[in-house]
Amino acid sequence: MPGTADTSSPIWERLPNAPIDQDNRAFYEGWPVHELRVQKCADCSKWHMPPRTICPFCWSFNVVPTAVSGRGRVYLFIILSQGIESPGVTYPYPVVTIELEEQPALRFTSTMVDCALSDIKIDMPVELAWIDRSGVPFPAFRPRRGA
Amino acid sequence: MTHNRMKNEIAIIGIGSTGYSRSGGRTAKSLAAEAAVLAIRDAGVKREDIGAVVSAPGPGSWLLVPPGSTEMVATLRLPNITYFTDGNGVMVAPLMDAMNAIYAGLCDYALVFHYNFRSPFNSKLAAADPFRRNIKGYDTLPPETVKNAAAYAAWASRYIHDNNVKREQLARVAVNSRTNAVDNPLAAMRTPLTIEDYLKARMVRDPLSMLDMDLPVDGADAFVLTSAERARSAPYPRVLIHHASQGLCETAFDEDQLGSLAHHGQDVVVKQLWAKSERTLKDVDVAYLYEGFTFITLSWIEKLGWCAPGKAGRFLEEHWDAANNRLMIDGKIPVNTQGGMLSEGGTQGAGFVRDAVKQLRGTAGPHQVQGARTALLAVGGFFYNAQSMVLIRE
Repeated sequence: MPGTADTSSPIWERLPNAPIDQDNRAFYEGWPVHELRVQKCADCSKWHMPPRTICPFCWSFNVVPTAVSGRGRVYLFIILSQGIESPGVTYPYPVVTIELEEQPALRFTSTMVDCALSDIKIDMPVELAWIDRSGVPFPAFRPRRGA
Repeated sequence: MTHNRMKNEIAIIGIGSTGYSRSGGRTAKSLAAEAAVLAIRDAGVKREDIGAVVSAPGPGSWLLVPPGSTEMVATLRLPNITYFTDGNGVMVAPLMDAMNAIYAGLCDYALVFHYNFRSPFNSKLAAADPFRRNIKGYDTLPPETVKNAAAYAAWASRYIHDNNVKREQLARVAVNSRTNAVDNPLAAMRTPLTIEDYLKARMVRDPLSMLDMDLPVDGADAFVLTSAERARSAPYPRVLIHHASQGLCETAFDEDQLGSLAHHGQDVVVKQLWAKSERTLKDVDVAYLYEGFTFITLSWIEKLGWCAPGKAGRFLEEHWDAANNRLMIDGKIPVNTQGGMLSEGGTQGAGFVRDAVKQLRGTAGPHQVQGARTALLAVGGFFYNAQSMVLIRE
C-alpha cells in the first residue's frame, strides 16, 4: 500500500536521505499527496527536469511546480543485477526512464511495479503507481490500464 | 570553430605508466608519483624544467582521493611551477589544459598525470581494503537513477532496441580489447577471451554484462608536453598533437533528458574533428575507439563516419579478423592496441594516449603498426566526456 499522506512534518525529515534543497523541495513535497510535480515555465509553457529555478529554454525564473498526468512510455530500461542496499529494493531490480506525455524528451526515472521483468518493453505505455518506501509514498510506474 | 591555431604546435615528449591492476596495496599518491617520475625521465627533462602540473583524477577516484596538482608538486618538490590546475578526469581535457598553458607561454614543459583508484563501491577487493574504508564514491546514488555508469546501460537499451544490435556484435568490442591486452604487461586482464565466453558473462546492468563495462583498476599514467620546437631536442621522434577537442551537448549531465541518440557529445566532437583535422579517416593507421561500455564504440564508429547511423554492429562483423580474434578496419587499421578500457583498465583514455605515443614512436611492441603516422583517438561517451585527439608523426 502507498505510504501515508501525512504532511505534518517537513519533507526533509521524512526523507532524510533525499538530496532536497530549495530548488527541488516542491518535487519531494508532492510525494505525500501523490503528485508528481514537474517544473513548468509560466512564460514559455515548457516543462523541464530535473527541477531548477530557471527555465532552461527561455531563462525565465517564473517556473511553477505542476503535477503531471503520470502517463508516458518506457524510453530506457535496465535491470540491475546488483546495487546498493536501499529500503524496498530487491535485485534483480528494474529501472525505467519514462518519457512523460506532456512534452517530448521530458523524462523521469524510477522503477516498474505490477509487471514481470520479462514483460517490460521499451515504448510500452505506463502510468504512475505510488508505492510505499519507509512510510512515504514513492513515485513508480506500472503498465497503463485502459486509456 | 574551425580555427586550429595549435595544430602541430604542441608535442608529447614523455610518457610513464605504472600499469594497471586489481590487486591494490598502493595509494593513488604513490602510483601517480611513479608515473610522473617515469614520464619526466622519459622526456629527458629535469624537475626544474616543469612549469605546469595538471592532475586528472579518473572517475572512481573523482574528487575523492589525492593527489591533486599541489600534492604532486610537494611530492616531487618541483621548484618552478607557474601554472597548476586540477582537470577533467577524462584524458584529452587535462592535456588540453597543458596545451593551452604551453601555447600561451605560461610554461615551457607541462606534467599531466591521470590516476585511477578503485572505490569500495565498484570493487569487492577495494571494499575489503581497510585503507579505503572512508572513501565515499560519487556512485552511491539511489537505485532509481540512470546517472554515471547506469546512464550508459540505459542508453544502450535504447541503442540496441532502435538498431537491432546483437550481443554477438557487442562481443567483438570486448574480445578485440582482450586479444590486444594479452601481451601487454601493463594490462590488468590478460586471459584470452572468445565470443562464446562473452555470451556467457553475467549480466550486471541488463542489457550490459560485466564484460561490457570497463574495468575498475588502480594505476596511473603521466605525460610531459612541450612546444613542437622544444620537442626537437627530446629523446624520441616528435609526436605532435594535430587536433584535440571536447564536446558537451546541451543536456550535459542530465543523462536521462538527452533528446535522442541522434545528437550528443560525440556529435559535437566529430564536427570539430573533421573541421579542424587535415588528416582524415583514410590517413588513420591506428584507432582508439573508447569502450568504457561496448556500445559506445559502435556509436563512435557511426559518428566518425566509418558507417551509417545504426549500422556499426554489422560493421564490426564485416571488419572482424577471425583468424586473430580482433578488429581490423579495412583490413589494416587495428583498434585499441593496448587492450582498451575493457581489458587494460578503465583509464578514461589515458592508456589510449600513452599507446598512441608509442605507436608513433615505433615502440608499441607486438601490436606495432609499421610506419604509423596518424593515430585517431575517440575518447569518452555521450554526456560530459566526449573528446577526440589526432596524434601524428611527421
